[in-house]
Amino acid sequence: MGFLPLSFGLPAVLAGLLALPVIWWLLRLTPPKPQAEAFPPLKILARVLRKEETPHQSPWWLTLLRLAMAALIILALAEPVFNPRERVSTGGNAVAIVIDNGWAAAPDWAMRVATAERLIADAEAENAPVLLAFTVDAPNAEIGPFDAQAARERLNAAEAQPVPVDRAAAFARVAQAMTDMPNASVAVLSDGLASEADEAAFDALLADAGELIWASPQGVTEIGLTATANEPDAFVVEAVRPTSEVGPRQAMVAALDDRGRRIAEAQLSFGAGEAAATAAFTVPFELRNDFNSLAVDGEAQAGAVRVLDENARRRRVGLIAQGDGDVAQPLLSPLHYISRALVPFADLIEPTSADLGSAIPELLEQRPAMIVMADVGTLPDEAHAALVDWVDNGGTLVRFAGPRLAAAEPDEDLLPVRLRVGERALGGTLSWTEPQAIAEYPEGSPFADLTPPTDVTVSRQVLAEPTADIVERSWVNLADGTPLVTGARRGDGTLALFHITPQATWSNLPISGSFVELLRRLVQLSRNQGPGTAQAGNGEATLPPYRLIAADGSLVPPTPGARPLAVSAEAPVTIENPPGLYGSEEGVVAHNLLPADAVLEPIARPETPLAVRDVAYGFDEQVDLRGPLFAIALALMILDTLAVLWLGGKLRRPRAGRAVPAALALALVGAISMPDANAQEGDIRPGDEEAIAAISQTRIAYVLTGDSSIDAISRAGLEGLGRFLADKTALEPGEPVGVDIAEDELAFYPLVYWPIDEGAEMPSQAALARIDAYMQEGGTVLFDTRDQFGAGFDAGSASASTMRLRDILADMNVPPLEPVPDDHVLTKAFYILPEFPGRFNGSPLWVEASQTLEETADRPVRVGDGVSPIMITANDLAGAWAIGGNGAPMLPTVPADPMQRVHAYRAGVNIMMYMLTGNYKSDQVHVPSILERLGQ
Amino acid sequence: MANIGAVSAAVAPRDALARARVRAALVPDLLVEARRVVNTVIAGWHGRRKRGIGENFWQFRPYVDGEAIARIDWRRSARDDHTYVRDREWEAAHTVWLWADPSASMLYQSKAASVSKESRALVLALALAELLSRSGERIAWPGLTDPFSARNGAERLAAQMLHMAHLPTRPDLSATKRFSDVVLISDFLDPVDETQEWLDTLATRGVRAHLIEIADPAEEEFPYAGRTEFQDPETGAKLTAGRAETLRDDYRTLYNARRDELSRWARKLGWSYTVNHTDRLASEALVRVHLAMSQGSR
Repeated sequence: MGFLPLSFGLPAVLAGLLALPVIWWLLRLTPPKPQAEAFPPLKILARVLRKEETPHQSPWWLTLLRLAMAALIILALAEPVFNPRERVSTGGNAVAIVIDNGWAAAPDWAMRVATAERLIADAEAENAPVLLAFTVDAPNAEIGPFDAQAARERLNAAEAQPVPVDRAAAFARVAQAMTDMPNASVAVLSDGLASEADEAAFDALLADAGELIWASPQGVTEIGLTATANEPDAFVVEAVRPTSEVGPRQAMVAALDDRGRRIAEAQLSFGAGEAAATAAFTVPFELRNDFNSLAVDGEAQAGAVRVLDENARRRRVGLIAQGDGDVAQPLLSPLHYISRALVPFADLIEPTSADLGSAIPELLEQRPAMIVMADVGTLPDEAHAALVDWVDNGGTLVRFAGPRLAAAEPDEDLLPVRLRVGERALGGTLSWTEPQAIAEYPEGSPFADLTPPTDVTVSRQVLAEPTADIVERSWVNLADGTPLVTGARRGDGTLALFHITPQATWSNLPISGSFVELLRRLVQLSRNQGPGTAQAGNGEATLPPYRLIAADGSLVPPTPGARPLAVSAEAPVTIENPPGLYGSEEGVVAHNLLPADAVLEPIARPETPLAVRDVAYGFDEQVDLRGPLFAIALALMILDTLAVLWLGGKLRRPRAGRAVPAALALALVGAISMPDANAQEGDIRPGDEEAIAAISQTRIAYVLTGDSSIDAISRAGLEGLGRFLADKTALEPGEPVGVDIAEDELAFYPLVYWPIDEGAEMPSQAALARIDAYMQEGGTVLFDTRDQFGAGFDAGSASASTMRLRDILADMNVPPLEPVPDDHVLTKAFYILPEFPGRFNGSPLWVEASQTLEETADRPVRVGDGVSPIMITANDLAGAWAIGGNGAPMLPTVPADPMQRVHAYRAGVNIMMYMLTGNYKSDQVHVPSILERLGQ
Repeated sequence: MANIGAVSAAVAPRDALARARVRAALVPDLLVEARRVVNTVIAGWHGRRKRGIGENFWQFRPYVDGEAIARIDWRRSARDDHTYVRDREWEAAHTVWLWADPSASMLYQSKAASVSKESRALVLALALAELLSRSGERIAWPGLTDPFSARNGAERLAAQMLHMAHLPTRPDLSATKRFSDVVLISDFLDPVDETQEWLDTLATRGVRAHLIEIADPAEEEFPYAGRTEFQDPETGAKLTAGRAETLRDDYRTLYNARRDELSRWARKLGWSYTVNHTDRLASEALVRVHLAMSQGSR
């Protein structure tokens, strides 16, 4: 089977295919067994049957099916394997596997692991010990020899690292380990990129080896980002690709902000044969400041990611002026226009002290990118030296002229040109000259591509001594050729001088838009001088890892293995200092993988006299076909069974079609209905009937005191009230219910009437707790002491019932109480009532005090719907309501006033309405009409 | 999958008897009116239309002196001054020969059928026997009993059958006389000409025959499919059909043609031909035969 990646474990079994013709012959001869049927009208049938030849052989397709089945089984028994992998026989007595796990190996690391696993498996088959080393690893990492199991564990624990490989070290260690096992096979699983000193490393590695197994990716395609530059007009990123790649190639580079959001993208295009390319993000300067990292799309490795630090960001600009202007006149302050111009795209820092001797070092400590000095004349020596140093190291110093500068001694070090002492005035009463406009920006000036303003005039300026290089140092000239802005490079830094004041006194340039443009360009030219928070470096300063680039190119929090980065020197990217951002939230330093001059050179197989075998990277794609083949044979067998059934007439669709859905439907209906029925049955609990009866009607409850006469009056009273309610209102309450507060469920009743009987037993704590809970859940208890005239006339005295009530309430969370105020809902819930008489008159009805909003929070009893959970009266309401069997009142009122009884009923109606409708009546909508009626 | 049809064991006559009675109760009493004068006891159609021993009211006639006083119908006489005697119509017996096919093919019962053909045939025969004997007719079973008249004719037939070890496949119909009725219950699956030849003796004798064909639904519908081996329960002959469903239409054409030919022939002779399927009620056939007997007598 050369044309298929297929091999057989037991090819001899394939000879069984020769038996297929025999099987075919046998199958053709054996028809399926007929279904025997008794059939009386056989004679009639016989006349029909004469016309048809009874088939004595199976149909051809059934035979074919069975032959295919037999062939499949024979094939499956031969143990076929799809994509068989080559066995790498390790000739030697040991195998040393060296794997490149640098950044370039990250994208297909799993494939490398799979390849290494194969090597380990082959070594295991030959019982050879395994040396396993990674080219990015701790120098003291264990490399073996391992047995296969340990090697596998170690292999699976290893990961690609976002750092360059260090072959020399790893190879040296392997070579050392191999000294006592000569002739070992050395397997090098390279990442395809050459590194320095490869040759020597390979020489050392292969010195004692018996064989080289060489694996290298087919083609390396990694793109690496080598440098970034925040150019004035664009953010430029440079990228390299392996030199072996020659075709033109396009890639997208994305700029991500600090939260990984994609905020810009640019195109990288490598021309044919070019190994380097640049991409430019032409996005606004402000947006560029948000760039946190750059990444090449589709490259899952660390080289394609570059992190950016302060150097690529918003500049810090220090501002220094002498003799601050009057605060009251900011427009005259020397720094006013400068700071207004710079604020949008730079961080401005101003010294706290006005003394230049301390202000300048203070500024320099913060490592600004640029310092703007507005008309500063002479500097203290120390500050001067520090400034010169700073400029030499890359600082940008921008100075403005003014009277002080004009009067100062020429300062060669911190001025781009020699100045004449004094200034010249253009225009004015004693001058023939006119104020000068600005000429076209000269070629070679940083402002060359800007458009000069036409409306700016300069009436006064300091003048530069004409020197040989004055032309090239002139960045902006006046129309008559006089330099207006001069600049020069000093060391790594830049000096710039505006020959005018930073206020609008000498020129109206500071109040023109061009001033902003010029300053902005200068800011873009400047470079930050390191993280603002970095400790002043004397070699020992280190920065902790902040965000690291993982091997797959993502930014991750620091890994445990990462060590702080030394700030001072150019620290190499190692496993201890993986690429990423170092520092803290205040400021970070970017530590990037590829240096600016990186070249991705493909690795060459070392020249060696040893036997060399090439191994391709790849997953183990060997597939055992036995299972699928058996499965297909089984499926065919099922098909065959079905076919035989069909031939035998056992599959008659109509009948099956009718029966199966019916059975399914039955099963379904059963499945659905059964739990349903159970659920209904399971819901029923003892006591449900009482509960249903209690809630199917609105019923008023009264507390059974145990005294039958009181209970009878309570019941008769509530019955009387119910009758009155049914007469006068839409509410038709059901039979009153006597409840035992210790046992019965109270939640069904809106109101519980509780006649206090001093003779009755004190309710238990549990019963009181139930009442308390009932009140808190929205129920209301109407306590009736029935002793309006039982108490003494002494205000302090209290009847026995009242004492009992106090005892009862002492154990409950009773809200603050008040007699029903005039504007309470109770007085207008149905009837307008000033008082709530019962058999007696005069006792106030106590309800929960109306809360102001502030007090609502800490109330002990929450009321439902604003209904008072408690009402207390002494008027014996039930006594007044009570009616006998003939409808006549049972008890006389005191005094015997028929209207008092009517009022008592009305009080009951109001209480019930209040219970059931809550504060509905207190709705402001009704206030006018209620007031109107109250007023008359 | 189970077979569609099966040959059941022969039905015990006692069991069939019980069911026959149930069937018989469904049908009103049958009075067989012979169209022509039967030459059994008192012959003649006209003779029947006169008073005599019977149960049905015939006429009231004035009492004639000398008649038994007990014959006076006092209820009628009380209405006027005369005395009346209730005359009854004289009812004469008729001989009906019953026969159910006992052959092995009758034992067949398919799944769709509620009973086997044999069972259905016996039920019908006994029901008719019950019906007829209750009406006072004389019944007979060729090869089993001579004509007899008894209230429990069905029982006696059943008892006779119980003791008869072997019933002849083809009855000897030579004993039948003219003007008697013959009820033949069979599946009539033999070739038509054979059946006709056999029944020709009846036709020549002027006997009125009622043919009841018991048909199993499986025989009529031919619900078989797939490879099927058919076996004749009578002869044991076997036939194998590769795809039985392909035979269905041809078979049904032949099957129905046989039935049509037979029934046409019977109708030509003035006989009745009734088809009863074993998945239908036996009483359907009973009613039709009853109708055929009563109508034929007019």
